[in-house]
Amino acid sequence: MNTNVVPPQLAAVAAAPASAGAVGPSPGQDPLEREPIVNAVVAVEALLRQPRRVMYQLRQPGSGRLIGSMLFVGLMCSLIYGVVVGSFSMGTQLWAAPVKIAGGLLVCAIICLPSLYIFTCLSGSRAGLGEICGLLAGLVLLMTLLLLGFAPVAWLFSQSTNSVVWMGALHLLFWFIATVFGLRFLQTGFSHSQPRSAAGLNTWTLIFILVMLQMTTALRPLVGKSSTFFPAGKEFFVTHWEDSLKAEQTGPHRTSTD
Amino acid sequence: MTATASKSASKWPLSLLLRAEPTSLGSWLEGTQASRVVFCLAAIFVGTGLYGASMGCWRAPLQALFVAVKLPLIVLLTAFGNALLNGMLAPLLGVNIGLRQTFLGVLMSFTIAAAILGAFSPLTLFMVWNAPPLTSPPDSLRGAYALILLAHVMIIAFAGITANVRLLLLLQQFGGRAKARRVLFAWLAGNFLLGSQLSWILRPFIGSPELRVEFLRAEAFQGNFYECVWRALTWLLAGHH
Repeated sequence: MNTNVVPPQLAAVAAAPASAGAVGPSPGQDPLEREPIVNAVVAVEALLRQPRRVMYQLRQPGSGRLIGSMLFVGLMCSLIYGVVVGSFSMGTQLWAAPVKIAGGLLVCAIICLPSLYIFTCLSGSRAGLGEICGLLAGLVLLMTLLLLGFAPVAWLFSQSTNSVVWMGALHLLFWFIATVFGLRFLQTGFSHSQPRSAAGLNTWTLIFILVMLQMTTALRPLVGKSSTFFPAGKEFFVTHWEDSLKAEQTGPHRTSTD
Repeated sequence: MTATASKSASKWPLSLLLRAEPTSLGSWLEGTQASRVVFCLAAIFVGTGLYGASMGCWRAPLQALFVAVKLPLIVLLTAFGNALLNGMLAPLLGVNIGLRQTFLGVLMSFTIAAAILGAFSPLTLFMVWNAPPLTSPPDSLRGAYALILLAHVMIIAFAGITANVRLLLLLQQFGGRAKARRVLFAWLAGNFLLGSQLSWILRPFIGSPELRVEFLRAEAFQGNFYECVWRALTWLLAGHH
């Protein structure tokens, strides 16, 4: 790595006071964390091994390229995971599921971004809009990377079961684990931006999870088959899960909507 | 936090208002104020306009347009209508700020509320998109209407409370905690009195599924908000449950 292009550490980094829930010193204090992230592969590696390096780079001028590459890789990963989800039902689901999962994830991020920014500001955080976008992009990338890691397991199960509910539950479990790691990245990044409290971010986390869960119902079917791309009726996700469980006990498996 | 980041954050007045740092809040009322008024007005129009559109869009696109116009109107009419009263109450209750500063302070709190509402508008739009359409059975419609109403009440309450906490912090810069509370309470009472009646006149907002879409109800200027609440209370107390 060429260390000549490492941006200088800014004085305020070292001077930043400890804030609510801050995990260790501010990013950038270790010279390794100040090494620039030159491409998407380095971004993925940094996110997994040196998340503080990503956090530091998101605060530097010109972080837009890093954010763009993280989002792009995140969308690619979600498309691949979507193919695995669609492989349960095959046919049109092979393209419909990836499109819905990638699109749904992007829409979730877009509609939750304004409230995330407002909540971080209300918490007294000094993170700018660019940094917030970057942390959200990091969340999306980390989530989808983990989902990609789960993809072989998910594929194996999808080829060995006929139960839509079982596959739905398995994907939800994988999604939940991936989301926990993604949110942990976001919360760590947030804790280094001098917030007064984490209450705002916790509230937003709840909203984000609810939106994502509802998105799985709004874009159904993701696992099972359907004659239409979008569902005919509107349902709350809990109601939908109840209906799917009832249908599982009575109806045919791979044709129900999930 | 880097110096670059804090510099970029401070360029945007909205993030400055939302963070509510005592020094930045105090300086908000000083210096050239015309650009700040323009900024506040624009933020209120955009924020409450977007939220209003998401509020009305469940009933009909036309209702969304109407509410996108009405919601900013209520906020601005309340701010302008009570400007003189608020400006007089502040020094009377011990916070020594002028009429212009008072108006800017109130406008600032409305701007914060508008920003929060605007940020929530994609979420409320998503909620409406997931709600049963108007062609659904009446039972399902009643449930959806109640859920939408409750969600809006919660979001507006959150935005209002947050904005007023910020306003309290601002007032404390000028007159201490106790006096600031007195002034805030007086302003809230005045704004509630005017704002609730304006909302009553400019109804409907969500739009009841069984009633027509219209900018103002035919009986908009008949009766008032408090009269209606009083009638409902006496009706309930008389045992008509």
